[in-house]
Amino acid sequence: MRGRRRRSVGSERLREALVGYGFIALPMAAFLVLFIYPMVYAFYISYFDWGILGKIEKVGFDHYRGLYDDFTFRKAVKNTLRYTAVVVPSQMALGLLMAVIVNQAIRGRTFFRAAFYFPSLTSSAAITAIAMYILASDGLLNSILHTNRAWFAESDTALESIMALNIWTTSGTMMLFYLAALQSISTDVYEAAAIDGAKTWRTFWRITFPLLKPAHYFVAVISVIGSLKIFDQAFFVSGGGGGPNYSTTTVMLQLYNTAIKDYNFGLAAAMGVVLFVFIFALTLIQRQLFGKSEVA
Amino acid sequence: MASDQRASPAIAIPEQLAADQPLAFGQEPPSGIPGRERAEIVSRTIVYIALIGVSLLFLVPFIWSVSTSLKTLPETAYFDLLPDNPSLRAYRRALSEFNFARYFLNSVFLSTVVTLFNLALSSLGGYAFARLRFPGREALFFLVLGTMMIPDQLRLVPIFQMLIDTPVTHSNLIGTYQGYFAINLVGAATLFLMRQYFLTIPKDFEEAAKLDAAGYFKTFFRVMLPLAGPALAAVAILTFQGTWNDFFWPLIIFLGNSDLYPLPVGIFQFKDTYETQWPELMAGSVISILPIALLYVFFQRYFVAGIASAGVKG
Repeated sequence: MRGRRRRSVGSERLREALVGYGFIALPMAAFLVLFIYPMVYAFYISYFDWGILGKIEKVGFDHYRGLYDDFTFRKAVKNTLRYTAVVVPSQMALGLLMAVIVNQAIRGRTFFRAAFYFPSLTSSAAITAIAMYILASDGLLNSILHTNRAWFAESDTALESIMALNIWTTSGTMMLFYLAALQSISTDVYEAAAIDGAKTWRTFWRITFPLLKPAHYFVAVISVIGSLKIFDQAFFVSGGGGGPNYSTTTVMLQLYNTAIKDYNFGLAAAMGVVLFVFIFALTLIQRQLFGKSEVA
Repeated sequence: MASDQRASPAIAIPEQLAADQPLAFGQEPPSGIPGRERAEIVSRTIVYIALIGVSLLFLVPFIWSVSTSLKTLPETAYFDLLPDNPSLRAYRRALSEFNFARYFLNSVFLSTVVTLFNLALSSLGGYAFARLRFPGREALFFLVLGTMMIPDQLRLVPIFQMLIDTPVTHSNLIGTYQGYFAINLVGAATLFLMRQYFLTIPKDFEEAAKLDAAGYFKTFFRVMLPLAGPALAAVAILTFQGTWNDFFWPLIIFLGNSDLYPLPVGIFQFKDTYETQWPELMAGSVISILPIALLYVFFQRYFVAGIASAGVKG
């Protein structure tokens, strides 16, 4: 019997370490092959003209230079940034508002929380299908507004409609993050404010809002990362084409079409790298703006 | 990066879950000041009306889609909320003629298998990173957390290239289930969730197992894993929902092979082909939404914990 024999501390340590490596072997292999290696590989591929059959020739930074002058890519960057600039603040404001509401001691709190969160639960494809139905030219929205617009099919409303759709569907998730943060604020703070006779509105802006700083940072990062990779809805409403007139061409959609439709892997990899650097930089900037004092 | 995550407020939830406490939402406000009841009643009423209005705004599109799915196509021209002759005809047509039964089964299959892989790998890894001591543990764990910073945009091309021509075996996994499983084996968020949970389990359990001469594997499978039930449930729900709703990777991997499509890609394909067959399209959407809605109704608190840990992805 192994258990009865007394082992030395050293061999016990060694055994524990070996078992530890054994336990992490499979997950670590998966992380290496599915995340770490692809990241390095993406940089490598972007150095080449690279097609469906593999490497063609080395082009250095040409893909990156080409992207700068590429009309469609510039349009895609512009759309993606415009989308992010509208969606992030709207999601944060709406998420916070809903969190504050369902954090009150009101009847039916669970129902309201579930109602606000419900769109976040659903698949992007299903919800985009529903939105296309409601926003169709003979759809419900037009009948309410007495208008006759094909919201997703006209170039001056297509991107805005996707913005509205995603603000609606994902602010429920932001609400949950804010709710978790609101719960962690001690009630003493509010009691002290009440004793001081502070009004609700004032309490919120002077006390609650600043105390939520780590949550603002966290929600902003999540929302920015999510917005910069907007793809599903743009692909769905334009059938993958990014139209009409490039109005729904996002960076991710352009990347997909370059890789999967044109098999121009080198150029697509370069787009991925640009977007990655962009996200990374923005995350750092946001950390400077919101998160500095909280970073342990 | 790791420090930000610790700073995030959402992390508290897995621990609450660990303690198996009901997640407490909302707190009682300080009691009202006498003489203000009237004003309170008025303001309460206003708040409730606003709340119900906003909830309707959130729910009406879904109610509308259910209603449409019970109509016939000519009936959709009238904007009545209740169908004249509600029938399941659109569901029957969607399921049989338009292949949604197949899409549904594909979704069930993909989500189940991916969930099982994630449960296995994240609990193994999570346990080792939480409880076993070995050189390089912190560095490797940091590496795992770092993978959260690698976005799908960057992975698309290399992953696609690796699936066209897999390393070592040189097979083509595009258009196969295996290709989808291969790239969804494990995620940092689920491993992180498991590790955090294992950290909260008192060491006494392992020491008791040791006294009983149980080896590491027996301790893990017989003692620790059963204790980690709530975390396993959160990982399962998070992964199942994520896979069920995934549009991007199935679109790439099953491209053109519609027998393998899960529901989201099936819905897209249907919309792209048949344009305005609204009742069937809404039926397909309801089929895709309903299972997750039911999961939410029954396992609400695990969703909250899962969301919190998914949020760690920042």
